[in-house]
Amino acid sequence: MTQVKLDPVQEVNMNENRLQGTKNAKKSHKKPNTVWRDMKKNYSAYLFLLPKLILFVLFVAFPVVWAIVLSFQKYRFNGSIFIGLDNYIAVFNSEAFSIALKNTLLFTVVTVPFSVISALVISVMIFGLGKISQSFFRSAFYLPSVTSMVIIAMVWRWMYNYDFGLFNYFLSWFGVEPINWLGQSATALWALIIMSCLIPFGTGIIMYLASMGSISQSLYEAARIDGANSLKQFFHITIPLLKPTTLYLVLLSTIGSFQVFTQIIMMTGGGPGSSTETLVHLIYKTGFRDFEYGLASAQAVVLFVIILIFSIIQFRVLRHDE
Amino acid sequence: MKKLWKKPTLLLASLGLTASMLAACSGGSNEEVGDADEFKGTITIWDGPRWPDEDDNKYHWLESKIAEYEAANEGIKIELVQVPWAEMGDKLGVSIAGQAWPDIAPVDISGSSVSIDHIEQGVVEPLDAYLTKEEKADFYENALDAYSYDGKLYGIPNSITLHTMLLNLDLFEERGVTPPANGKWTYAEFLKTAKDLTFDRDGDGKTDVYGFSTYILPGYYEAWPFFYKNGGSPLNEDLTGFTFDDPKVVQAIQDLADLKLKEDAAPETLGGSDVGGTFQAWANEEQRTVAMQPWATWAIGAAQGKYPTNFMVAEYPTGDAGEAVTIGGVGGWLMFNQGDNANKKAAVADFMKFISSTDEQFTMAQHYGIFPARISSSEMDPFKENPEMTRAMEMSDQVVMLPRHPEWKKIDEAIQTQLQLVFNGEKTAEQAMADAKKAVDELLK
Repeated sequence: MTQVKLDPVQEVNMNENRLQGTKNAKKSHKKPNTVWRDMKKNYSAYLFLLPKLILFVLFVAFPVVWAIVLSFQKYRFNGSIFIGLDNYIAVFNSEAFSIALKNTLLFTVVTVPFSVISALVISVMIFGLGKISQSFFRSAFYLPSVTSMVIIAMVWRWMYNYDFGLFNYFLSWFGVEPINWLGQSATALWALIIMSCLIPFGTGIIMYLASMGSISQSLYEAARIDGANSLKQFFHITIPLLKPTTLYLVLLSTIGSFQVFTQIIMMTGGGPGSSTETLVHLIYKTGFRDFEYGLASAQAVVLFVIILIFSIIQFRVLRHDE
Repeated sequence: MKKLWKKPTLLLASLGLTASMLAACSGGSNEEVGDADEFKGTITIWDGPRWPDEDDNKYHWLESKIAEYEAANEGIKIELVQVPWAEMGDKLGVSIAGQAWPDIAPVDISGSSVSIDHIEQGVVEPLDAYLTKEEKADFYENALDAYSYDGKLYGIPNSITLHTMLLNLDLFEERGVTPPANGKWTYAEFLKTAKDLTFDRDGDGKTDVYGFSTYILPGYYEAWPFFYKNGGSPLNEDLTGFTFDDPKVVQAIQDLADLKLKEDAAPETLGGSDVGGTFQAWANEEQRTVAMQPWATWAIGAAQGKYPTNFMVAEYPTGDAGEAVTIGGVGGWLMFNQGDNANKKAAVADFMKFISSTDEQFTMAQHYGIFPARISSSEMDPFKENPEMTRAMEMSDQVVMLPRHPEWKKIDEAIQTQLQLVFNGEKTAEQAMADAKKAVDELLK
């Protein structure tokens, strides 16, 4: 490693800083309540944060903690009963939970890579366009993100209609018999997966475009001078420098996929049979149909742990090291 | 088989359950009964849309009753929360979870958003103290039975519904098919009719109209009377064993699925989960692609109003058992837990009785496509100018009620999800019911 040589002025400043740091350390040793002092010093910043913090505690932190507490109880209105790990044992012994987990994993494993890769491809295609065209396509692809999933699901349900849906209409052009897309176990989950894949990942496209815009053009110029073609530039400059964005989008879409719910309740209700049952739909049914809040909470905690594990793995695999 | 329209004399003579109910009623209850006149405050009631007035306001009936009650009871304000029926179950479920329930809501406790478990936990108030013996005697036995648990009454029944077959007579005429005489037929006759009504109207080689269709979905029982045609029921008498795997039930299930799978007399969507789409296929003037469908009695009102259809009401076809069967349901008002406020309880009960009176049930029957739960309302003959509803009402002695098991919603789902696979052709009825048995027996343990 090369030694960084400092000029005399820098050296003096650094020495002063060190001296100040030592004094501060001594002061803080005398007065250990630095958090309180810091809050007093920056009280206006904390005041600005307070409303959001209160909302967070009320609507996120408290429900999460309460769900964990509930997961160890048999919830009753006239007094809940502590039952230890019984709810968790029930979750892991439940065939319905394992079917829902399997379906959710399949949904996630297919939709996440497709969504992220398609967002990248669309972004690359848009990035090369002029300003007006870029704005148009950016808005067009972002539109589904600001549209209610309920509306989207209703439209897709119509598109999958056996008698007069668009998909079967297109198939009829090629003499293919109509398919009961949502009415058969073999096709229902795949129909939902296809739907999720074909809805543009608007957030991903916007984020990729923003990240691409921040890549220095000098890198591409240097690569071109070194004889790298477009494909090499894409794989050796664009992709690596988009890695932090990719990590964020993979995490975001994985969490979203594990929590898939609206499409299920609007389009199939988990059927036919249990072919489209997913974890969040199962949690919803357990809680609000069967009123087994303790068991539903245990299922939710298990889902949380699964998502956490997936997120850690993805973070470790995709993180942007030095 | 339970009869929906049993007269109270039979009720008193036959049921031990009633004896315990009577013991609990008015004088028999130890509960402190408050004074409704002493209560001043707000009562919250949830209700779904009912029949429209000239301004298309589907809450006008309850709004007018509220205004009437408030005028007569100074200091009491009734707050109506309008909840679409499709959201009622979920919203009640959430409100119960948060212990933020309304004072009154329209709920069928036999299999809906309020369960027997809730009654045991005290979410629902017993009402025996607020109804006299004479008042109770004016309700049909099964209506009271549906709201009774452990010898106590937990609601005021206001309506009874059942399922019927609705036949599009225009399609019968188009095909020259004769409808069943008096709406009575055997399954063989029904099958022949369904096949005769399946046809290619425009000669393009594709079927345009099918004889029959329905859907299979947890919580919906339009298809179920077909499964009872040879006898049998989902659970045994003491609710300890699954019995839908009985060969005669299995055969009945397979027969109906074979309408699509073998006979081509039903569309691909038979046994699907699209309730609205199924109804539109029968009732919508622009579709009319299915000639016969089973529906609850609300559909009679729809076919006479919003979807004008030339139709008739028929019974479900009979099978080996020789008797037509239909599934019934009871609707009514529940009072949710009021804590220790005895005066408010009395006021809430008073308002519930006010909107469940003989006249109100008569009005509701005339306009809303349901049968009154009160004998006195029925005796006013609300359907004298409505032959289809009269015909449906005649089927009331064919009614069987669903088993009242605390885990019924889970049992129902275990059965219905397997039934979906039978109608898809993914399983035979025998395989499906064997699989359902495994799941249901676990729940019955």
